[in-house]
Amino acid sequence: MSDAPAALDDQDFMDALFDLVIPPSASGELPGAGTLGLSAAVATALQADPLLGPLVEAGVQAVREAALTQHPEGLPSMTPQAGTKVIEAQLNSSHPLLIMGLARYLYAAYYQHPRILEGIGELPRPPFPEGFDVEETDAGLLEKLQARRKTL
Amino acid sequence: MPNEPVGVLVIGAGASGAAFSWSIADAGMSVLCLDQGPWMKQQDYPSNGLDYEARGMGDFSPSPNVRGLPADYPVNEQHSDISPLMFNAVGGGTILWAAHFPRLTPRDFRMKSDDGVGEDWPIDYQTLEPYFAMNDRMMGVSGLSGDPAFPYHEPTLPPLPLGKIGNTMAAGFEKLGWHWWPSDSAILSREHEGRQPCINLGPCTSGCAQGAKASTDITYWPAAQRKGVQVRTGCRVREITVRSDGMADGVLYYDPEGELQEQKAEIVVLACNGIGTPRLLLNSKSSQHPDGLANSSGRVGKNLMFHPYAMITGIFEEPLQGRRGPVGCSFWSHEFYRTDRSRGFVRGYSFEAIRGFGPVQTALWGMIRGFLPWGEGHHQKFARLYDHTASLIAITEDLPDETHTVTLDPELTDSHGIPAPRVTYRLSDNSRKMLAHAVERAKEALTAAGAVETSAEPLFREAGWHLMGTARMGKDPTTSVVNEWGQAHDVKNLFIVDGSVFVTAGAVNPTSTIQALALYVADSIKKNIETLFDSA
Repeated sequence: MSDAPAALDDQDFMDALFDLVIPPSASGELPGAGTLGLSAAVATALQADPLLGPLVEAGVQAVREAALTQHPEGLPSMTPQAGTKVIEAQLNSSHPLLIMGLARYLYAAYYQHPRILEGIGELPRPPFPEGFDVEETDAGLLEKLQARRKTL
Repeated sequence: MPNEPVGVLVIGAGASGAAFSWSIADAGMSVLCLDQGPWMKQQDYPSNGLDYEARGMGDFSPSPNVRGLPADYPVNEQHSDISPLMFNAVGGGTILWAAHFPRLTPRDFRMKSDDGVGEDWPIDYQTLEPYFAMNDRMMGVSGLSGDPAFPYHEPTLPPLPLGKIGNTMAAGFEKLGWHWWPSDSAILSREHEGRQPCINLGPCTSGCAQGAKASTDITYWPAAQRKGVQVRTGCRVREITVRSDGMADGVLYYDPEGELQEQKAEIVVLACNGIGTPRLLLNSKSSQHPDGLANSSGRVGKNLMFHPYAMITGIFEEPLQGRRGPVGCSFWSHEFYRTDRSRGFVRGYSFEAIRGFGPVQTALWGMIRGFLPWGEGHHQKFARLYDHTASLIAITEDLPDETHTVTLDPELTDSHGIPAPRVTYRLSDNSRKMLAHAVERAKEALTAAGAVETSAEPLFREAGWHLMGTARMGKDPTTSVVNEWGQAHDVKNLFIVDGSVFVTAGAVNPTSTIQALALYVADSIKKNIETLFDSA
């Protein structure tokens, strides 16, 4: 029996996997998902999900094992191209829902991170209490409605 | 110590229970409301944090099966094409609703006469009109008067701004010459009765931290409590108890400590929604009511109606600033509301223009719809989608069907061991045709508005917000559960005021009509209190 942690708890492996799912943007403005320290939160969320959790856990375990057969240090030391191929092989064989299940929590964690919000042009703050401004209703459209209005 | 008997016992503190309690308090009887959920706190709502989208899919999910909170009961939905949604707290579904606030139209009350399907209601729009108006004032409704699709009425406050996304989509409807109108919205565009106006937070559907959205915990309940109505939270009713003559005499409920309590009452009122109400009636079997309370017609739990939804999304070249503003309230269209048999189906649907997706929803939607890859190209595609999508929701009329049911599950129970509901619902052929028609028309509208690509979810499974028809009203006790006053035919001191009493569903969000009905039933009781039980 291996002493290695479960794949979901193997932070180096999970960060490498996250970086393959959401790599850094070409401009470098948006970091890869593996550099944001999301693995513990994603693992916790998956472990609490009775439907997706076991599916994803089995899938990432299979990816880790497959990567170790190709490189002695596994996924973190592989090139992005080689790592992507390992994942694709699992998607095409026994774990077709791996990315969809993982993304359910990874995308949620990534796209609510302050650095990412700033990078996509949003203010890195909660909606409340400041709120937001919204463009008024187009006056030309309202004028057209006025002409059709039913009156008392 | 036994609980003091009360005059009126209301079960459920949501949209209808709140309106009813506020009104019936004027009758001079003591009024107590039991709810299995807690009071909510605005500072706990997700829009106070960056993780608001994730929480909207977690502890603020509209599905009780996903949330699994102590206040929730499970629903077996394995036999249903649509997932039932609800929220269990003071305020009920109004805590998480979008607050889109159309009324049923006059023709919706006479479907059988007009189209030869379904049934006519025993009441009409005109009967409810004063209660619609009263409810609009209590909830605080923003809108633009004069919509030709409805009888004339004046919303309390000016309409909410459409924003760039709404202006863009409305221009598409204009181009096609199709009906559209700014939605009546139970969201404040101006300060109203001590509540602050909307500041465009966006995620209305996980609670409004601003308090601009009308959930009944901040509209009706404070006013009802000022009249002396009591609310007891964390109390789950197990069954309604009856006297030897078959009349209701109270309930048995579990208090927050899990102790079984008895509460006696002269009048019992159900406001538990279209699933909770039949569940409780079916769980209230006795020697006098062996098939469940008020069920001599066999209609309790039958004719469940949902409103099948389609969601059609367009991708635009221009940014739409869509994430900002009340997500479910922009404008509606009744262009395809009425029956036109040349379309191949009876009845029709409304469109509801919604605002844009947040970043997380954009990513998940993009992935599921095949627009957003993982790995290389992810960011480029995300940038194309984020703030560049606009969606139309088609709300289609659901015809009453006795095979669509709420029954008691033989195995599943809630945390107190009370049998849980099982929902059986299959999409009808008429609904399928209507959804398909709506998808094509929505694509036309979005394209006319400038969309360069469209994508449709022809049946939106997670959209079972509207729970109607499972204890319907009617004049004939052999085919309905309650009369035109919401009074059970079989049990004269039992009333139902939630969406269960709907005879037909229309093709609009039902809450405005549910609350108007609750106010009407309360008024009917007040006006007829002296003779209410004469035929018992």
